[in-house]
Amino acid sequence: MIAKDAILSNGGANETFVLNLGPQHPATHGVLRVKMTMDGEYIVRAEPVCGYIHRMQEKMGENRTYAQFLPNTSRIDYLSAMTYTHGFVGAVERALKLQVPPRAEYIRVITSEMNRISSHLVWWGAFLLDLGGFTPLLYAFDDREKILDLLESITGSRLTYSYFRIGGVYNDVDDQFLKGTREFVAQMRPRLKMYRALVTDNIILRKRLIDIGPISKEMCRKYGATGPVIRGSGVTYDVRRVEPYSVYSEFDFVIPTCEETDSMARYAVRMEEMVQSLRIIEQALDKLPAGPVMAEKVPRVLKLPAGDYCYATEAARGRFAVRIVSDGKEIPYRVKLRTPSLSNLSLFEEASAGMLLPDALALMGSLDLVIPDIDR
Amino acid sequence: METPESNAQLLSDCAPYVKFAKLDEMLALGRANSLWPLTFGLACCAIEMMAAGASRFDISRFGAEVFRPSPRQADLMIVAGTVNKKMAAAVKTLYDQMPEPKWVIAMGNCAISGGPFVFPGQYAVVEGVDKLFPVDVFIPGCPPRPEALIEGLLKLEEKLTGKRRWPTVKPE
Amino acid sequence: MTTPNEPQPKVDSAPSASPPAVPAPTAVVPPKPVAATAPRPAAPAQPPPPPAPPAPNPLAHLPLPFKGVDYAAKGYHADATVSPDQVIAAAEVLDKEGLSLDTITGVDWMAEGQMEVVYDYFHPAKALRVVVRTRIPRDNPEIASIHKVFPGANWHERETHDFFGIRFLGHPNLTPFLLPEDADFHPLRKDYAP
Repeated sequence: MIAKDAILSNGGANETFVLNLGPQHPATHGVLRVKMTMDGEYIVRAEPVCGYIHRMQEKMGENRTYAQFLPNTSRIDYLSAMTYTHGFVGAVERALKLQVPPRAEYIRVITSEMNRISSHLVWWGAFLLDLGGFTPLLYAFDDREKILDLLESITGSRLTYSYFRIGGVYNDVDDQFLKGTREFVAQMRPRLKMYRALVTDNIILRKRLIDIGPISKEMCRKYGATGPVIRGSGVTYDVRRVEPYSVYSEFDFVIPTCEETDSMARYAVRMEEMVQSLRIIEQALDKLPAGPVMAEKVPRVLKLPAGDYCYATEAARGRFAVRIVSDGKEIPYRVKLRTPSLSNLSLFEEASAGMLLPDALALMGSLDLVIPDIDR
Repeated sequence: METPESNAQLLSDCAPYVKFAKLDEMLALGRANSLWPLTFGLACCAIEMMAAGASRFDISRFGAEVFRPSPRQADLMIVAGTVNKKMAAAVKTLYDQMPEPKWVIAMGNCAISGGPFVFPGQYAVVEGVDKLFPVDVFIPGCPPRPEALIEGLLKLEEKLTGKRRWPTVKPE
Repeated sequence: MTTPNEPQPKVDSAPSASPPAVPAPTAVVPPKPVAATAPRPAAPAQPPPPPAPPAPNPLAHLPLPFKGVDYAAKGYHADATVSPDQVIAAAEVLDKEGLSLDTITGVDWMAEGQMEVVYDYFHPAKALRVVVRTRIPRDNPEIASIHKVFPGANWHERETHDFFGIRFLGHPNLTPFLLPEDADFHPLRKDYAP
């Protein structure tokens, strides 16, 4: 903090140099590139350069039908594919005024929350890998594989599920899945306690994260940051609570927030979110109603009435919103995907100014970026 | 008087006793058993590559766990994900920076052909990394399972040594 | 910097109110606490049944032509069509209201010879999602940048420029964002052909 003012108020009097980070760099989790103007070890300006994995998702929305676009939605943020598919099918269902059967909604919630835990586990492992600890990754992937086994048994895929369909879900869950999920919830609770003892309370981690990369509430608001980033800055914003979609309003869960605004706050929020997701899963399993998992009378050819339709979901990284503009044809006129990572990263330039380079990487890791989510 | 013919004669005479090719075979065996992949994740497939390196699948059983962040230290490039036109130059540079001998695995449909992101009039995706540099093993899938990546590694070993380390499991 | 900082339970804040529904979005800042967005009950099915009649306008006190929208049908609460020179004023008003910029995007209405620029806002504390839209001529798509009000608009505007060729006047760095550095095409225009 002391250095920050000195560096930034110097007005460029010191000699600076440009450091290019990425697009291939182990700490950027993919193909993000950051052009950094450095004054020694301190960052004067860090400008992210995006687009290295731009995959034309929005263009593809305009040249295929709604059902054909569905697989794309799992490949935007492949770590929390369920919530992304949910956003898209939700928008289409909203336009068609489709009533999704309650059982399908509960299954959606269960699978979304499991997906959220698996996403946070990947973040946890990879983030600690960035900070120099290799072992947590092995623990995280161990637990994650258990989730993937369960999800694979009903969706048929490990990562890019496309399990939610317009009007419901692809197939019903079986007893094995329900039993396995209960077992997983029971196993995961002590594991999270162990993670806390093993890593969260570790003095090295705390020294590395506390007071590093503060992001104020106001900065979050100005940049549109959402998800654990805004919650780590003390704002109780969660789409599941503010604009409750699906059946989220029926569950008792807490939106964890942290007033500290630093990297440790974002870390703590995500760790607590896993606990809350377990709670939601448990409640949903208890309440899971019987019945069909697919709405009746889903038209075979989907034509949305002309107009625009929005739907927002809480993905693991924050608010994911879909806007479909329809002109009444089988193919959408425009599909806009508002992804959380883009907004979350856009504040990096301001937040990282004056930081030490290794601290900036801790900040970047605490934002939990998925690069194809930014570039689409 | 040495002539090419006499040299050839000499080589064939001592062939039962001296095997020059054995050095190559030994080197190939060493290389095949300790492939050093470049840490280079692009998209979804990179997560499965991480999973292959992590607890359950444990790629180090096959000697390929030494993921190197620098291309100068790696001899295997696993292209795990979509390469688009903006990225293509960087991928090509990474390949050029790797020292010989080097091999490339194209992991996933995007790296093979552009995968699901190819449509008439597409403007961003490179339709297959073999347009940029030679590829030794293609692993289909979207994304391929970690087992598939391990199978791809075994295929590459087979290419290097000429024989397969593990028996093939026939699908039932 | 910090002292070791004893391992304290940093989380476990039990913030938001009653679990079941929306945090009652009553008072919309000072002037008139207009009826607020339909307090939707816990709805079991997908589009929650909207109890409110013609959709009240949660932003009626603002000097902008906001219209209330049925959230269950559309996914947002208020919608305003403004003239292109009003977008900065709209952003400033919504900024004062405490809203946050969700995204900026374009829609190419080729048949009408127009480009639509859509600004999405959301409120970080209550169920309030607002859309501001404006139309500009398609052959000369220019509009003022709002990055001074919301710095987060910077990237969204660059992206919209990439895709539609809409020029945001006053933007500090309107260079290709997702497309390659030398890109001179705008792929989401309806007449784009590679």
